[in-house]
Amino acid sequence: MKQPFYALTLFLLPIMLSVNAAADSTTVTESVETAEQTGATIFAAQCASCHGPQGQGTQENYPDPLHGDASVGELAELITDTMPEEDPDLCVGEDATAVATYIHETFYSEAAQLRNRPPRLALQRLTGDQLRRSLSDLYGVFAQVRRDTWSERQTQQGLDAVYYTGTKWNGEDRKIQRIDPVVDFDFGVDGPKNVDGSDAGINGESFHAHWSGGIRIEQTGRYEIIVRSTTSFECKFGHDRNQLIDNHVQSEGRNEFRRMLTLTGGRIYPIKINLNQRKRKGETPPSSISLSWVTPGGVEEIIPARFLVPGWAPPALRLTTQMPPDDRTYGFQRGISVDPTWDDSVTSAVLEFADRACDELWPDYRNHHKKDKRSRDDLLRNFLSELICVAHRATPEQAQADRMIDAAFAANEAETDRIRYTILLALKSPRFLYPTINADRTRSWRAGVQLTLAMHDSLPSDRWLIDAINKEEVDNEPQRRRIATQLVDDARTRAKVREMFHHWLDVSPTDDLRKDEERFAGFDVNVVADLRQSLDTFIDSVVWNETSDYRQLMAADWAMTSPRLTDFYGDAWKPCADDADKAMGRFQPTVRDSNIHVGVLTHPLVMAKFAHHQTTSPIHRGVFLIRHVMGRTLRPPNSAFAPLSPDLHPDLTTRQRIELQTSPASCQICHTKINPLGFALEHFDAVGRYRESENGKPIDASGGYTSRDDEEFSFETARQLGDFVASSPDAQNAFVSRVFQYFVKQPIAAYGPEKLDRLSEQFRQSEFNIRKLLIEVALICSEE
Amino acid sequence: MRQSRRRFLKQTGISAAVAHFALNLPSLALGAETSERKRLVIVFSPNGVIPDHFWPTVGEKENEAPLELKRILQPLEPFRDQTVTMHGLCNQIKGDGDGHMRGIGCLLTGVELFPGDIQGGSDTPAGWSQGISIDQFLKNQLQADARTRTRFGSLEFGVMVPDRADTWTRMSYSGPNQPVAPIDDPYKMFDKLYGQAKNRELLASVLDDLTDDFKKLEKMVSAEDRRLLEQHQALVRKVEKDLKVELAAQTDQIGHAVPELPPNIEDQNDNMPEITRMQIELLVNSFAADFARVATFQITNSVGGAKMRWLDINEGHHAISHEPDSNETSYENLIQINTWYCEQVAMLARRLSETPEPGGEGSMLDNTTIIWTNELGKGNSHTRDNIPFVLVGGGLGIKGNRAIDFKRTPHNRFLMTVAERMGFPQNSFGNPDFCGDGVLTGV
Repeated sequence: MKQPFYALTLFLLPIMLSVNAAADSTTVTESVETAEQTGATIFAAQCASCHGPQGQGTQENYPDPLHGDASVGELAELITDTMPEEDPDLCVGEDATAVATYIHETFYSEAAQLRNRPPRLALQRLTGDQLRRSLSDLYGVFAQVRRDTWSERQTQQGLDAVYYTGTKWNGEDRKIQRIDPVVDFDFGVDGPKNVDGSDAGINGESFHAHWSGGIRIEQTGRYEIIVRSTTSFECKFGHDRNQLIDNHVQSEGRNEFRRMLTLTGGRIYPIKINLNQRKRKGETPPSSISLSWVTPGGVEEIIPARFLVPGWAPPALRLTTQMPPDDRTYGFQRGISVDPTWDDSVTSAVLEFADRACDELWPDYRNHHKKDKRSRDDLLRNFLSELICVAHRATPEQAQADRMIDAAFAANEAETDRIRYTILLALKSPRFLYPTINADRTRSWRAGVQLTLAMHDSLPSDRWLIDAINKEEVDNEPQRRRIATQLVDDARTRAKVREMFHHWLDVSPTDDLRKDEERFAGFDVNVVADLRQSLDTFIDSVVWNETSDYRQLMAADWAMTSPRLTDFYGDAWKPCADDADKAMGRFQPTVRDSNIHVGVLTHPLVMAKFAHHQTTSPIHRGVFLIRHVMGRTLRPPNSAFAPLSPDLHPDLTTRQRIELQTSPASCQICHTKINPLGFALEHFDAVGRYRESENGKPIDASGGYTSRDDEEFSFETARQLGDFVASSPDAQNAFVSRVFQYFVKQPIAAYGPEKLDRLSEQFRQSEFNIRKLLIEVALICSEE
Repeated sequence: MRQSRRRFLKQTGISAAVAHFALNLPSLALGAETSERKRLVIVFSPNGVIPDHFWPTVGEKENEAPLELKRILQPLEPFRDQTVTMHGLCNQIKGDGDGHMRGIGCLLTGVELFPGDIQGGSDTPAGWSQGISIDQFLKNQLQADARTRTRFGSLEFGVMVPDRADTWTRMSYSGPNQPVAPIDDPYKMFDKLYGQAKNRELLASVLDDLTDDFKKLEKMVSAEDRRLLEQHQALVRKVEKDLKVELAAQTDQIGHAVPELPPNIEDQNDNMPEITRMQIELLVNSFAADFARVATFQITNSVGGAKMRWLDINEGHHAISHEPDSNETSYENLIQINTWYCEQVAMLARRLSETPEPGGEGSMLDNTTIIWTNELGKGNSHTRDNIPFVLVGGGLGIKGNRAIDFKRTPHNRFLMTVAERMGFPQNSFGNPDFCGDGVLTGV
């Protein structure tokens, strides 16, 4: 768990040649000029020999370009104190300010960099996630995708259940028809009862029961599905023909069935369980069944009602191929390179898809076209052609599917070989892998592709959308806005939003959050699993409720809690009786407490993530706040530092130790920015519990921030930090920019230098509505 | 260019691609040590036999007689010298489950079924077997030793096994409560055996066709973006080249031919002869490639109801098997049905005998024993006495052209004999109560 400290960042590390400097200094003009002109002259004379005439760096002296986000004031101070390196007194006061002004304006600041080298839309292939989602939706083209709106998500929960007595399926034998919120029954020897416990007329020795619907998968990852039963049953998953568990034969001692699956977020997977208690000679043993799971980073639990959905759930693709990770240097995944491992994985994912097409899609297609008079070969051609149109994102006229199908038919005789050949050809094609090389497609297709890429990381596959595209109805702004509005209220968007927040908060199911067991007794895997759900349900309730208010996210005075969290975190984590209607399963809003709850900023999962084994880490917290929340840049530390051991400084608080370790002037350049933000969260220990003191000394949580506009802010508590973040233009712009980049995978400046400011302004005017922001983002990237 | 590539692939064929796997096998890599292979195939057919037309005559006081091939066993005539019939072996396992269930569930395991909820036509309901079956036991033994380890260890073939897992459809068990499903779709079995290789071949054949798309798209992007596309194309060309080398290198080293399956044979009753033939081809080929040394070959299931329309028999096998012997039509039909099963065993024996032992002497049949068995001794009595056990081939080193009669001996002792002859003697197999007298004597 040891992590390097973010330490000193020296962005001016010059070794100036004294001879040059001394000689050039005499040439500085005395005439009256603007500060900038003066700065230019001084820079050329005193700085350029090491930093290069445009601050681009020089190989022999200081190779890194002068880029950063320090303000003019901060730069001037730095120059006064340290530059030129061999004689810092040479450039001070107004001269230093003039140089700072000049370089800030000409090449140093982000704005200057944009002006000098406008970002462009770089070509990208599908990322691993986009490939997974595109294949998922391509599979869904034939079966249709069930759109899961937020209101359905909140109201339609549980599974359809129907119970029959005896062995027949007659209406009179059907004794119970209802929605079961969860599947967790111990029917004993008496058999199923009505919900109120009254007799339903079911013979406990001979009955059959059926549950059907879907499982909501909100996050891509490895899931384990567990069914326990002392009774004969079968479980189908993903497709009617895919038997996940076959326990047709009940055999003593065989009562637990576990299956590992890789599932895609934002999808509903159909599930069906058929239970059959058979009458036996002699004594019939008691009957029972339960349906549980282990989610990524979670612990085993009965699948809660909110992850179950009754009614029709179309087949869904189960793709086992794992794609290699993509580039994430900018904080979001981008498909900017190709290599053999990636190519191999694409091939195996595509072949897996092809197998599912042979086993499931093609038989289903034939079934739907039973009355079709065409020959089986013609029908197959039609099937493949429809598939190619969507995969290549084109109208039937433009897709030229016949070319591929002809090749497949000529080279193969067997039906499955023809399907596999066509699919491999179509999906290994750059037409599928590079969604934005589409200059020859219609305007509506181009716009539709951008909208679905932004919202779902996928391709247009829903029938209504393809129809609109093919009718050329995805062109002007009102049309695109209508489509974007429809796309945003969808489980696929919710899955992407959640992933964005996980990236932003740097939390992942694979995090090992174990802490010192003595100091934090009771902070176990169960608490961590509940914290994950607490964070997710909090984000969901903020983003998907009516106001979708960003400020709530940063500064809400409540959180989502569970009985286990109340036990561990105490009174402030008690559920609020008034907000019981906002509960999500066993998670419900806490009582309000403005000191202890400050949006995601003080959420214990985030606090524990940015903490050491025994102590907090104000530096990790500070770096997170300055980079992710305030959107400022920090150069990485020049080397890794181990934190000072608390054992060696038993009488110091964490804050004091950090101040001690980062006190050298060289560290202070960055740590004057990092520490004051991180210290503001000192009231929250390494597992996110609120504390008033550390080592018997009162907590000092005072801190501060200097904005891009050189404005100074100070705060005494996390609450004040949260209120500041919620209202700070720096933080708001950072959030808007991050959302844009995460959803579009391109820098917003590539769409025009004014776009970020305009989008941020719209965001403010919409009362910081996150959902509306997503729609605006999708509109910008689908503009031409 | 494209034409020549196609031709190239046709010439090298899929068989080339498949050699890739054969070469990676540990047992082949060891070369000379592989010459003494012992193999076992257990063939199952259901519903008992017509004893009078099946069993050779052995005098009541004799234990052995020269092999007399009656009507049902006639097809084995060409293999008389490697054929032994074993009369008098009885499946005496009691406990839960009806005759058919215990017939198949205890046949290769020699142990009782667990209590469960599957109710047969009589007796108490039951679940799965309480123990491992002989084929899986042998597989584990062979796989535990690097010298006998193979890619799969064992293969479980089926023909027209109903698409449901229950006590009647499973004879192989990897442990208590762990039935092993046979694969009855030849295409699925082909994928299991050669799927990866086939994918390589498929990939090689489409890569060239991607060029057009790359060319077209290249024109639509800026010079800067073209770099990524060019890298991608270079990658495709490299994969293509590597595949070509991989496939070409193998043309010289084809160890065995891969069976060509006729396309689009549906999994349905009337295709049973064709499916059986395809499965036999795959079995023989996978043995030749040393993919496995143990196999089961389960034709239908216990109580199997195949309708042999190709013999002009329109009733299901199981239904006919319940008819009394006095029903002459049924009696005759059952003889014909069992003769057909015997023909399949003979076909398997013939294919093995036609295939030279790779790296060894003689034919593969000389090193393979086929055990043809059944869940019942006779259909209409449901007896599990005198279970049919017919052995063909030289894998177990048992002298042929003999009819042996063991006079009511528990079949567990036969399972022990098989284990011993394969090189893994056991003090008991299955329920020890039936193993007291050790391996069979007089074999």
